[in-house]
Amino acid sequence: MNCKLFTFAILFCCNFIALKTQAQLEVGISGGYNKNYLYTSTGYRAFTKYDAVSGFELGVPIQYHFNEWLAIQAEPSYIQKNYEQNRSHFFEGVYQKNTNSYIQLPLMAHFSFGGKQLRGFLNIGGYGAYWASGKVKGAVANVFDNGPEIPDDQDIDEYFQLNQPHHYNEKYTFDSRRDRRLELGLMAGIGIEYAILNKYRLFVEGRYYYSLSDQQKNYMINQIPRYNDTYGVRIGCLFNIKNIFRKQETQTLIKD
Amino acid sequence: MNQFNKYILVLFVFFIMTSCRKEIPEINRPEDYVEGNFSEVFDAYWNGMNNNYVFWDIDTTNWDRVYKQYKPLFAKLNLADSIDVRTGYTYFKEMTSGLIDSHYDLSFNDSWLADSSSINPAYQRKLAKPDYHDPISVLHFYYTLPDNYLDEGWKRGFVNVGNSQYVAVAGTIDQHTLYFYFNSFNLKSLYEADGDNAVKTVEQYFFDMINNTPDIKGIILDVRGNGGGALADLNFLLGRMIDKRLDFGFTRSKQGNGRLDYSPWTPAFVTPQDSARNITAPIVMLADAWSVSMSEITTMAVKSLPNGHFVGERTWGGNGPLTANKFYNGGQFSTGFINQTYTSSLMFKYRDGKIYEGIGFPPDIEVKYDEAALEVGTDPQLEAALKLTQ
Repeated sequence: MNCKLFTFAILFCCNFIALKTQAQLEVGISGGYNKNYLYTSTGYRAFTKYDAVSGFELGVPIQYHFNEWLAIQAEPSYIQKNYEQNRSHFFEGVYQKNTNSYIQLPLMAHFSFGGKQLRGFLNIGGYGAYWASGKVKGAVANVFDNGPEIPDDQDIDEYFQLNQPHHYNEKYTFDSRRDRRLELGLMAGIGIEYAILNKYRLFVEGRYYYSLSDQQKNYMINQIPRYNDTYGVRIGCLFNIKNIFRKQETQTLIKD
Repeated sequence: MNQFNKYILVLFVFFIMTSCRKEIPEINRPEDYVEGNFSEVFDAYWNGMNNNYVFWDIDTTNWDRVYKQYKPLFAKLNLADSIDVRTGYTYFKEMTSGLIDSHYDLSFNDSWLADSSSINPAYQRKLAKPDYHDPISVLHFYYTLPDNYLDEGWKRGFVNVGNSQYVAVAGTIDQHTLYFYFNSFNLKSLYEADGDNAVKTVEQYFFDMINNTPDIKGIILDVRGNGGGALADLNFLLGRMIDKRLDFGFTRSKQGNGRLDYSPWTPAFVTPQDSARNITAPIVMLADAWSVSMSEITTMAVKSLPNGHFVGERTWGGNGPLTANKFYNGGQFSTGFINQTYTSSLMFKYRDGKIYEGIGFPPDIEVKYDEAALEVGTDPQLEAALKLTQ
């Protein structure tokens, strides 16, 4: 019953939007590759650094045009914001890769310029994201797992000769005292779009998400914050709702 | 033009908002503070603890409250005044009194504190308990116990290395129960040391008995009063008595500067040695309130065996392994004023999911310290252990 009601509501909304928004509304799909940098500090931790890690994102862009050059866009998305902690020199091989999944809703102003078919555009806005889940994969030296005996006359090249690595790949366990799962931030994008038959628009965009939310709650004095900086390239296609419906109306007339 | 101005304003607000991030605080190595006054002394220590202490997850000490309460108090002290230095010592004692880490020990460089003992919160708590008792004298294990309980042929010996004295006693009880006492975990190192030493001789005797006694009814490992030592001894000793890996717990380390930044849990296990004989007879750990660190870890490992038992008293409660700070990015550190903040590098969790740090590991057969019995040469704890092997 609930499912039927939900389906009806969706169809009603689509129909309502289609009728009311006419030429202004475009809906599409997008996907892309990104690289996330963790803006933080390792302090004085020995031979330890954070590195950027790539991820991907998938979205459903929805654009509402006010005029030829200005629109607003919302884009419910799934996005990964990954990073890695690595140790070097003697500690080479000790690492942890964090794969973080967010459900994100960017809301932006879409400025476009150029010709009829090929246009450039600039997106500027903000976003809210929910840190839905995480995974950690890595290796640490296990103090209870000694390596083979090292002869007295032999050099020791790496930590894992003293203690064997413990490799792990597991779900990230959120700590409600520390983890702030709601992320708010700013975003900007620049790209080009190509219109086909006034029905479809293909686009390529470079986008940057700048988090204003520390990944951690304020739970300690002298806390080192952690912010996501995410750079991405995405491609997608927008469908012009009005033009699709207009064609259907024409076909109906011919039948009559 | 008005429209254009609106968009310029939007862009301006956008770029202003990019400066809304918190500043990253400057975190310095505690050793690097130049401690010309007590404010620096406090900051070096407080921040060192803030970033390196491994038990913040379970410790009930409110470290932020400590900062707010003691920073102004330290600021009033004069580092060049011996009375203020004594007052500072008292503040350190108060600040650390609730720390759960039972390895924790704070020692000082200041010459005015040369006659002051190091600050050891677990020891202070132990002293305040109604059932507090001193450790059993090593003379009981060295003289009384062999004379009264061991079969003829037992071995004992000691060796002095630096400021440490290592003592070991081994023998049989009723021919088929093996007994091994040692006061510190340095067995592997002494066994592999060049030349002969008395502890090595005792170890060799015990290992030969493990391998050659045809009908072992039980093994008693006596770590009462044993303050711990080298983790390598776990495989070296217990690895001779098992034929497959024995998982008994987990460890985790700090993995960032935040108090709650931890690595995932890593399994803790004993690896069987090449020369191992799988012992199916009862293996009984004898431990007491003065069994610390490796004594507790070994007790937990034995307790994880299907034939493992633990007789005695609840242990000390300091079971997080220690190593240099750089290895696990946490644990021990020094400052100009503090000679050493001796603290665990790793948090240990037993296989039952509980963390016994600050609590102590409980025996399955509790036999309390009995001073009167010991004075007349009997050992009720050992006798309770013997009941399990007969």
